[in-house]
Amino acid sequence: MEIQSNDEQAFKQVYEQVFPVLMRVVYHVTNNQDLAEEICQEAFIRFFDKGMVFPSLNDAKYWLIRVAKNLAINQVKRKSREMVMVDKLKKYPTSHSHTKGGEQVLIEKETRKQVQDAIDQLPEKFRLVIVMKEYTDMDYKQIAQVLHISESNVKVRVYRARKMLESLLTQE
Amino acid sequence: MCVDDELLNTYLDGELEEPWRTQVEEHLGYCNACRGRLDQLRQLQQRIASAVLPLEDIGQRQERVLAFFEKSRFPMKDKKMHIFRKKVQVRLVPALMTTAAAFVVVFIGSFVLFGTNASQAQDILPGIATPMDSANVRQVSDTKVVTLDSFSLEQIVQHLDAMGYAVKLEVKAVTPLE
Repeated sequence: MEIQSNDEQAFKQVYEQVFPVLMRVVYHVTNNQDLAEEICQEAFIRFFDKGMVFPSLNDAKYWLIRVAKNLAINQVKRKSREMVMVDKLKKYPTSHSHTKGGEQVLIEKETRKQVQDAIDQLPEKFRLVIVMKEYTDMDYKQIAQVLHISESNVKVRVYRARKMLESLLTQE
Repeated sequence: MCVDDELLNTYLDGELEEPWRTQVEEHLGYCNACRGRLDQLRQLQQRIASAVLPLEDIGQRQERVLAFFEKSRFPMKDKKMHIFRKKVQVRLVPALMTTAAAFVVVFIGSFVLFGTNASQAQDILPGIATPMDSANVRQVSDTKVVTLDSFSLEQIVQHLDAMGYAVKLEVKAVTPLE
């Protein structure tokens, strides 16, 4: 099914399916929810304003992830030049479910923070691949398509990213 | 020879193709060390995956960004129509009401200021009086059902006679004299 990006109905269909994926990818790359929201909005603005035609929903999804991850990487580079700002931005307020006990929420939050901090330390090319592997439902082939790299390259990067994360997480 | 971490990771992700998958499974069947390592990798993978940004944190942002698009990109058709309607309402309705009010004021005002008398009224109103004569007065009856009882015997006989019928009248039980 062809997707015309500036058609309201088609846009909404793509938006509903892709926004959560995009938000997860960008958040886990930038470690900042507000920034991730801004980047996702910017990616969808470009998607709509360019009025492009995609052969399928997946093609639209890959395009959006590609644009959003580029914006995210640029932001991360800019942030790393302004380390003070990074520290401030990291202290975003996280909303959490009130149905769970306070202690449980704290443990989960702590675990998430440890993992996310470890991901933050990965070099860009490993970070992107592991984020897409763990936080979206994409397989090696699809990740390869988004990043314009080979499938075997994705496989190696996933393995190496996990190896680095293992050593970072066991240090703590 | 044992299975290396790279192969185990690929196996864990369900991306290992045949025949290697079967070979790895066979090996895992008897090698405790590799099974242990696979468990470790699985736990690590689950720990990483558990840090996923929850959907409840996404929902609100998803709605907010969509609201931005509703406001800035989609309203074109509907809102333009809406603005047009508003303009019509704002411009036309008061204009019509003002005109109507002005007419009423002028109409009543003219009577109040100048008054009226019979001659003026005749000048203003067109004359419609017509003489009453047989040509334009038609008698109407309010009798709804017209039967033979409405007419006298004489009228009936006269009518039939006029129509060219020869009418012979007889009274019951009375024999006419020879």
